[in-house]
Amino acid sequence: MPQALMDLFPAALRTVLEKIPIQASDTLEEIRIREQRPLEISYGSRTSFVRADGTLTDDHRASFIPGREECRAFLERVTNHSLYAVEEELRRGFVTVSGGHRIGLAGRTVLEKGSVAYLRDIAGFNVRIARARIGFGSGVLPGLLDFKAKTIRHTLIVSAPQQGKTTLIRDLARCISSGEWNHPSAMGWGGRKVGIVDERSEIAASERGVPTFDLGPRCDVLDACPKAEGIMMMVRSLSPEIIVVDEIGRTEDAAALNEAIHAGVRVLATAHASDLEDVFARPVLSRLAADGVFGSYVLLSRSGGKVLHRIVSAEEAAAEAARRYRSRAGAAPRDAPNVRIRAPDPHAGAGDGHD
Amino acid sequence: MIKFAGILLILFAGTMIGFLQAAKFAARPRQIRQVLHALQRLETEISYGQTPLAEALSRISELVPVPMSRIFADISRSLRPEASGAGETVSECWQRAVNAGWPSTAMKEAEREAFLRLGATLGGSGREEQLKHIRLAMLQLQAEETTAREDQQRYEKLSRSLGVLGAALVVILLI
Repeated sequence: MPQALMDLFPAALRTVLEKIPIQASDTLEEIRIREQRPLEISYGSRTSFVRADGTLTDDHRASFIPGREECRAFLERVTNHSLYAVEEELRRGFVTVSGGHRIGLAGRTVLEKGSVAYLRDIAGFNVRIARARIGFGSGVLPGLLDFKAKTIRHTLIVSAPQQGKTTLIRDLARCISSGEWNHPSAMGWGGRKVGIVDERSEIAASERGVPTFDLGPRCDVLDACPKAEGIMMMVRSLSPEIIVVDEIGRTEDAAALNEAIHAGVRVLATAHASDLEDVFARPVLSRLAADGVFGSYVLLSRSGGKVLHRIVSAEEAAAEAARRYRSRAGAAPRDAPNVRIRAPDPHAGAGDGHD
Repeated sequence: MIKFAGILLILFAGTMIGFLQAAKFAARPRQIRQVLHALQRLETEISYGQTPLAEALSRISELVPVPMSRIFADISRSLRPEASGAGETVSECWQRAVNAGWPSTAMKEAEREAFLRLGATLGGSGREEQLKHIRLAMLQLQAEETTAREDQQRYEKLSRSLGVLGAALVVILLI
């Protein structure tokens, strides 16, 4: 575990976490701290509770239990002793600490006019450890290339949470901006200008505006910027050739993506969905898919601690969507969509026109 | 001759004691005012700048004059992520710095109390609540400032003359 992250934990927790066996701490993914409840870690796609002497156990009764003091001190350190300065993050339920590690928060919400204003009485933390995996993207990138335009196709990376979407997109951004296309026909293309809209500060983990992860030489980062606005700002003023965004899913994101695409910018985005069916079931994503926006999809899955990827082109995705549509509509295949890709629910595609 | 030198020494010492005492009476309201200015600045940093506490305090420490600036700088230093290996909370740092630095100021127990109470709440709540706490501390300090000014008017000159007169009394008694 990175030392900077270790320093965030209050002394009592740190002594426990420092004694975790090395094979677990090397593949550590999450540390879950819940006040007055057992300390849990997840590593190499399995989970364990931690005893006070750092050994791992499956029995939660034997686990170390963080108390109120530890949690309070941890919250202070995580928020840099300034809860008032991270109100916006509290409203969204997480803070990102230096190094790009995201800390999810659980507590009591305070409402203002019916929507969440911020969190108080925070008593649960999920520390997600960010790792740069240099070379993670080089296996995927050759499958995304658009040889005619000498760049990448519009790509959506899809997976369930915690499968490595952000890690992949980070390394893809690095490969693209430094020109490591990893394909014989792409030799000599050079790097492309990459613009990253880093709403959650996870991709670049910028500190004072400077990315702490290696993103190659031709990368611009809009840190902590809302995606929709950020995409427009990028297009207007930073002339990116490829825009990278994390976790799209809201209507305004889709509108902004459409703008960018029609401005001649390639898009590399991620979304939460366990498979393509989920993509077509989510209103905004299905609308984008129906418009034929994405040229390829990357599906991530995990088995035995290894991340597997599958690249699906838009045509295959369309076929899959049509198949699904038919199986839903029963024995009425003539109603199958004649558009390239069509959402299973026609109403999902009937949103307000924005392109 | 020696007698004369002794008389001069006693007179000098008495006068000095009186002046020092008077200077303390004058310094107390001045320093309270400085703390008030510092808190006003902190209010701005929190409400408009949303500056992290460590940075806000280090900026303040450059603004206020010496005895208070040391306390602010001390707190800010121990809040910096690279320095806080021990994992102190704000209120612990605050308390330690105040206990160490307060004796070198002219301020009294009441101001210290108000200042410490503020330290126990800083950094631990949302913006609105932080501002309320700061304003409360400022109100208390303003009340102290008024009494400090009254004390100054009443006792500043008095202690100066008392010093000289006391020394004279000792001289007369000794002769």
